[in-house]
Amino acid sequence: MDFSLTDEQELLLESIDEFAERYFDEDTIKAMYVNHGCPDEIGEAYRDAGFGYMGLPESVGGIDTDYLTLALMTERLYHKTGCMTPFMTAMLAMKDIADFGTEEQAQMIIEAYNESGKCAAALGISEPAAGSDNNGMTTVVKKQEDGTYIMNGQKTWVTNGAVAQFFLIIAKDEDPSYENKSYSMWLVPANSEGISVGLLEKVGQQAIAFTDLFLDNVKLTEANRVGEAGKGFYLLMKNFEFERCLVVAQGLGQAQAAMDDAANYVSERNVFGRPLATNPLVRDLLVEAETILENVRTYLYKCCWMLDNGQSIRSEVAMLKRYATKGCTRVADIAMSLYGGLGYTEEVRIGRIWRDLRGNEFAGGAVEVMSYIAGREIVKKYKKN
Amino acid sequence: MKIVAAIKVVPDDEAIKVAGDRTLDASKAKEKISTYDLNAIEAGAQLAAATGGNLVAISASYEGATSKKVQKDILARGPEELFAYGDAKLATADSLATAKALQALLGQVGDFDLVLCGDGSADMFAGAVDAQLAALLDVPVVNKVTKITPEGDKVVVERTLDTVVEEIEVPLPAVISVSPEIAQPRITGMKDIMAAGKKPAHVDAIDAVDAAVEVAEIKAPEAAPRKQEIFGEDDVAKFAAALAEAIR
Repeated sequence: MDFSLTDEQELLLESIDEFAERYFDEDTIKAMYVNHGCPDEIGEAYRDAGFGYMGLPESVGGIDTDYLTLALMTERLYHKTGCMTPFMTAMLAMKDIADFGTEEQAQMIIEAYNESGKCAAALGISEPAAGSDNNGMTTVVKKQEDGTYIMNGQKTWVTNGAVAQFFLIIAKDEDPSYENKSYSMWLVPANSEGISVGLLEKVGQQAIAFTDLFLDNVKLTEANRVGEAGKGFYLLMKNFEFERCLVVAQGLGQAQAAMDDAANYVSERNVFGRPLATNPLVRDLLVEAETILENVRTYLYKCCWMLDNGQSIRSEVAMLKRYATKGCTRVADIAMSLYGGLGYTEEVRIGRIWRDLRGNEFAGGAVEVMSYIAGREIVKKYKKN
Repeated sequence: MKIVAAIKVVPDDEAIKVAGDRTLDASKAKEKISTYDLNAIEAGAQLAAATGGNLVAISASYEGATSKKVQKDILARGPEELFAYGDAKLATADSLATAKALQALLGQVGDFDLVLCGDGSADMFAGAVDAQLAALLDVPVVNKVTKITPEGDKVVVERTLDTVVEEIEVPLPAVISVSPEIAQPRITGMKDIMAAGKKPAHVDAIDAVDAAVEVAEIKAPEAAPRKQEIFGEDDVAKFAAALAEAIR
């Protein structure tokens, strides 16, 4: 088993280091959490370095990249900055459109990104009454007599919703009832009549604007439809597995940043005439945190390797997401303990990282839902008859 | 315009450990492009793009330069081709020996208009290779350059010193060493990195090096004890005088 990285992966990670060092000082990061987004200059630099095209198909000018490399660069960016960035979620939404949409739709999205460097598309899936229970969704698109369509409903937890130029919205066909399982995906310009957004104030992750998205009689045509009618949710499910890997890669990077700070702090902080790091109880905390980081990293890389080899990771990624997001919050919690009272102040970044990581336990599916998914598969796996 | 960036590959100074006897341990230090040479490469890449010209790289460095990774790193930053010596004999080569090795590499490159050097190497920082290479080639040399404007068969450069900016016409071919502010190194993306693996890199051991210096020992400076002298608000003049004395 070869755990070494290729020259290309190492060079890419060094480029990410340069990018992080050049653009993300602590004042900039603090402002991102107040302003709910990163400065245009950073988005443009990310685009200009070509990072924003990684993972997108070559047919739209993207850089075909394996899942492991995408996870590695995400982990490194979050590690070196210690903060949330909008880039990978934005890439995933663009990838959905490139994968499932028409050539014209893909080109429209990529041109919007080329011009601005800003998030081109945001996914609208969850609703106030439909999170993990997707059938509870009531956003509906009805065909009109003139052949056009009207969309009505409300989406929530729309990542990058305040800055996206397009929304990729999943909605029920014709009938909003719970029993209807016919969904379609629609690509809707953010400036369409009938669309409004409202910012959600979160406990953490404020650097990424989450919004409510209100859809009131939004007019659509067949040209707005993405993929086959009635197959919307099935299409989107395909990318959920990697989305969960990315949530873990982001959390792993931030948890590692917290560990970097705290582990160094206990080596420098003297208590009772000797460094805190010499205390056996402190060392036990360090070992617990480092073990979690190593386990998360190895399991994440394995899941990405499986995806790269065409294997389904439905159960594996559910277990990974459950273990890793809780584990990374625990690492930040340990980091806070290692800092003592100082860790509970805004003088250090541990509190911000802790709040961000707690949110990852919900992102891409709550940990309890991950247990539901993986638990069902484990029972099947071990049942003898 | 045919431009050549002269690059040194050095051990990563952040990974060099100083032992108790002040000797240096570079065994865990990976090879990297010398920091100030990044500016020379970028200046060359921008100049090549602006003139529709061509940029190649030459490097005479220790055996770390034989690493495929560092070769790709160089080529990802703009040069179309690399000619290099990577050899333990060059690890402690002096400026003249390095300049002679670069001269030999330029023989492989063929005709050129401009050789760009960095401000100094990240390990020795002698800042003398540019002048010695120019003397060997019998071409003009200018250092501390912060802007290069091509004009026919010459370039007009701005040479930025502490109190004055000189504008100098330099006939080509020439050797120019650049100050870091001439160009911020690019952040290389995956396309650049992937393309670098397909560019030609010619890396050989060097036959002989007349280092002209005998290395007796290389040691870190002795750590000076802290003076623990505290200046109060009323001691600003005294503090300024002490500071001036310390840096004189």
